[in-house]
Amino acid sequence: MPAFTDRVWSPYLAGILIGLLQIPAFLLVDTALGASSSFVTAAGYLASTIDGGIAQIDYFARYMTSQKYFWQSALVLGIAAGAFLSARASGSLRPSVSPAWRRMTGIRSLPARAVMGFAGGFLMLLGARIAGGCTSGHGISGMAQLAVGSFLAVAAMFAGGILVASLFRRV
Amino acid sequence: MDILGLIVLGAVMGLIFGTALEKSRVLEPGILVGQFQFRTHIMLKMFLTATATGLVVLAMLNGVGWVDLGPKAMAVGPVLIGGLILGAGIAIAGACPGTALAQAGAGYRDALFVIAGGILGALTYGYFKADIDGLLDLGDHGRITLADLLPMPFWALALGLAALLVLAIAALERWRPWRSELGTDGTGLWGGPDAERGDRRQARTPSGTPIHGAE
Repeated sequence: MPAFTDRVWSPYLAGILIGLLQIPAFLLVDTALGASSSFVTAAGYLASTIDGGIAQIDYFARYMTSQKYFWQSALVLGIAAGAFLSARASGSLRPSVSPAWRRMTGIRSLPARAVMGFAGGFLMLLGARIAGGCTSGHGISGMAQLAVGSFLAVAAMFAGGILVASLFRRV
Repeated sequence: MDILGLIVLGAVMGLIFGTALEKSRVLEPGILVGQFQFRTHIMLKMFLTATATGLVVLAMLNGVGWVDLGPKAMAVGPVLIGGLILGAGIAIAGACPGTALAQAGAGYRDALFVIAGGILGALTYGYFKADIDGLLDLGDHGRITLADLLPMPFWALALGLAALLVLAIAALERWRPWRSELGTDGTGLWGGPDAERGDRRQARTPSGTPIHGAE
């Protein structure tokens, strides 16, 4: 029996759990699992402190008012809390930077990795918003709805990722 | 459901999602980027299992008429170019939008900068949406699904694809059992002094000893 104090669960158990989350998402929220929209909600509210007019821009207004995005914002904050509790319960809270970065890129310090991470995060959300979804919305949810655009998006995501990862050292 | 109920529901679902990402180690940069390098396939196994489960769930819920689908549009340019940029960003960030939050929760500090960069990326798209969309406009085919293209109902196609995915997952597991793909202490890295130095738990887990969870 998998326990909350285990350090590792099989990827199949994790995948089934995440897939089952589509049941409450569709039945109770009338939407599919997703994560990247919540970044627009956060961006809108943060930017509204210096740009009072941002809520008048249709795109931001939608993500700042629709209840669905409050649900998704709670979801991603819950993801952080869940990962924290899960790591703490198994005694596997992580160091400040994964050893993977030193091995793959030679980067060892948090400041250097922070710059790289910031640039990666910027591209990630710029791309996700252009495409209209991320690995959750287009990937797990889009393919589960047999959306043709989502199959294309996933293929493009893997192509972009494989291309960049080929520049890193294989460790 | 009222707004408070939606927020509580989202938080509870997030707790499950975050636990799954942490315990499966899919949040590890070494596992995520390792998938793009085809060193380890934990991420693909989880991703395809979640998709197959979703297909079965939606085949049933949509088949009995309880839920409507909301597929995203197939706008060729944005989907292809956006997908490429997103994929490149995932490799550089070592995270997806959702897993960045899980990384931050699990203790990785650089994930906070990934999240900050992501917020700026979303803000940039929002401000320049009209220009970017205009530049990438290669035609929009609307919200089409395979069920619109093939003479079969959604539930049958969904169950069919789910069955294919299960076969693919089984073949993947036969080729590379998941326990052999975790690397040292579930980092997606194998051996080496760097793997030790970066990991607080090395004192209790000797280097090179693969961990076995879920027993």
